[in-house]
Amino acid sequence: MTATMAAPESDLATAPPRWRGPLLVVSRWVLALAGALVIFSALLLAKGANPVDAMLAMVSSTFTQQRSVEQIFIQMSPLVLGALAVAVPARAGLTNVGGEGQIIIGAVAACGTFLLLGESIGGPVLVLLMLVASALAGAAWAGLAAGLRLLAGVNEAISTLLLNFVALDVLLFLIYQPWRESPTGQPTTLELADSAKLPVLAGTSVHVGIVLAVVLVVVVHLVLNHTRWGFRVSVAGGNSEAARRSGMKVPILLCSALLIGGALAGLAGMIHFAGVEYKLRPGFGSQLGYTSFLACWLARHRPFPILLAAFTFAALSVGSDSLQLDSGVPAASINVLTALILLAVLGFTASRKKASA
Amino acid sequence: MSLLEDVMGGGVRGGTSIMYAALGETIGERAGVINLGTEGSMLVGALGAYAIAVETGDPWWGVVAGAVAGGMLSGLHAYLVVRRGASQFASGLSLLFLALGLTSLFGAAYVGQPVVALGRWDVPVLSDLPVLGPILFRHDPLIYLSYALVPLTWWVLFRTRIGLLVRTAGERSDSLEVNGYSAARIRAGAVVVGGMFAGLGGAHLSIAYANAWFENMVSGRGFIAVALVIFAVWSPLRVMGGAYLFGMAIALGPALQARGSELNQFALDVIPFLLTLIVLAVLGRRTLSAAPAELKRVFENST
Repeated sequence: MTATMAAPESDLATAPPRWRGPLLVVSRWVLALAGALVIFSALLLAKGANPVDAMLAMVSSTFTQQRSVEQIFIQMSPLVLGALAVAVPARAGLTNVGGEGQIIIGAVAACGTFLLLGESIGGPVLVLLMLVASALAGAAWAGLAAGLRLLAGVNEAISTLLLNFVALDVLLFLIYQPWRESPTGQPTTLELADSAKLPVLAGTSVHVGIVLAVVLVVVVHLVLNHTRWGFRVSVAGGNSEAARRSGMKVPILLCSALLIGGALAGLAGMIHFAGVEYKLRPGFGSQLGYTSFLACWLARHRPFPILLAAFTFAALSVGSDSLQLDSGVPAASINVLTALILLAVLGFTASRKKASA
Repeated sequence: MSLLEDVMGGGVRGGTSIMYAALGETIGERAGVINLGTEGSMLVGALGAYAIAVETGDPWWGVVAGAVAGGMLSGLHAYLVVRRGASQFASGLSLLFLALGLTSLFGAAYVGQPVVALGRWDVPVLSDLPVLGPILFRHDPLIYLSYALVPLTWWVLFRTRIGLLVRTAGERSDSLEVNGYSAARIRAGAVVVGGMFAGLGGAHLSIAYANAWFENMVSGRGFIAVALVIFAVWSPLRVMGGAYLFGMAIALGPALQARGSELNQFALDVIPFLLTLIVLAVLGRRTLSAAPAELKRVFENST
């Protein structure tokens, strides 16, 4: 709170020449990223892999094959939506750590809609219904946290976090019992009918989720920065006392921001389900929510940079598969690089917020 | 064994790793810093302890290594949050990812390796007590250590000068500065000690409880620990009770199943999380008013 209010003043007082600002930012970022790469290389070296070879192979197999590039766009779509689900509540000063659970519940709702209506209707109408159901379910899941905050003053960072584990148990219960396709085989649900899968963009394997993601980035940007609601949410998030005094219904503003966040995360679950996995299984969408949270932080909660951050993390994730194949390093170790990048960025570039810590 | 002894004894065994982590988190939060990286500290603690126990053949070196590993990871959190003013939530989650990646990278070699674990050690005389014996005194030494650490932590926090400084860092850090202390250093110290406790919790998991290392074996216990601290209103003694309650909820399913009762596994798994949510809802405003003032500020302006 203090930081956002004090920042403009201190900027004026100590502002370096205009061109130096961006240059400093860029050089900090380059330093941060280079530092992360150096540490990751050292770790690879310690594991007996040649880091230069490993990473060159990773980059070349990620960006030179059409399949991999398409994979990046496929994987970044839910990350973008999941990150927006953090960004909108963040504007209201809320921390939504519940992306993981909201994504799962969104996918569960989409799957339930398919299981319920898949026989009678199909095609675009069904897909649309699944989208609506997932958004509503995600919003409802976030709504639990919002309700707890309004009624009992429970901090939303804690409640959304706990609800992640509840959502996971709901998912496991459904796929092990009522929705299990066959009692003997793998615990999964019935595979989505072809007509209910997300259509792909012509000539590629990329599903339309990426279009939805980009559109929603623009919409969220416009809503946050150019509508009355967006303005009020920012005020309520920045200085709730001032907002209250000027007659805003702060609890409703906070609540609506969290609900919209939940809806976006629910959509992320739906497009990952109907665009990639086609069935629910244990471990569905694992870590999508947490990765989205970090992507949102990398983008400093701003919609357009979220696209870049999600692209980066998606590329890392696609690259990790080639890392495993070529260098025999476990794919999960790419989490190290993801974390190092974020830690470096937090450490190198957050110093202006120092006063508010 | 009766169901009561089975479930309560299992609660102590399964709850202890959570208790270590929650005890550490209590120290950090009393100083005004929340650490979602607790899960990560437990993970590196579990692998560190396992690896060193395998390499040296002595589980006690493993215990030391677990604490050191957990402390080192939380040291990063302390640096980023206290020195660089980074967001506590973003830093904590980043550290979880770092721990997931590191333990996957270096843990693969230890999957399936046999280890000399901390064995069960029945306390003479006490373990023969009816009911209490099997519940409290037929465990591994790390559990007995935790019996001592809980009151010790309480005593340090509330009856010593160091504890006063830690609590002041969480309540009124400016008054520390006035008196010539560095709130930043006290906080960083509390966070690192908290991480060492979490590392001990991880060590208990890998070399006393499961006697194995496998990827992502902490599976949410660190997050439960963070929730438990609030559940326990930042009091070490209540952390102990809460942790055993969680442990019992986890132990109930297998205990009933062993007796032929068909209860849904996932319904039981969800109990601890629902229980915390319900308690938070019931105690809601009361817990918040009991929170260290500077921690509350983090919550109220969490971005």
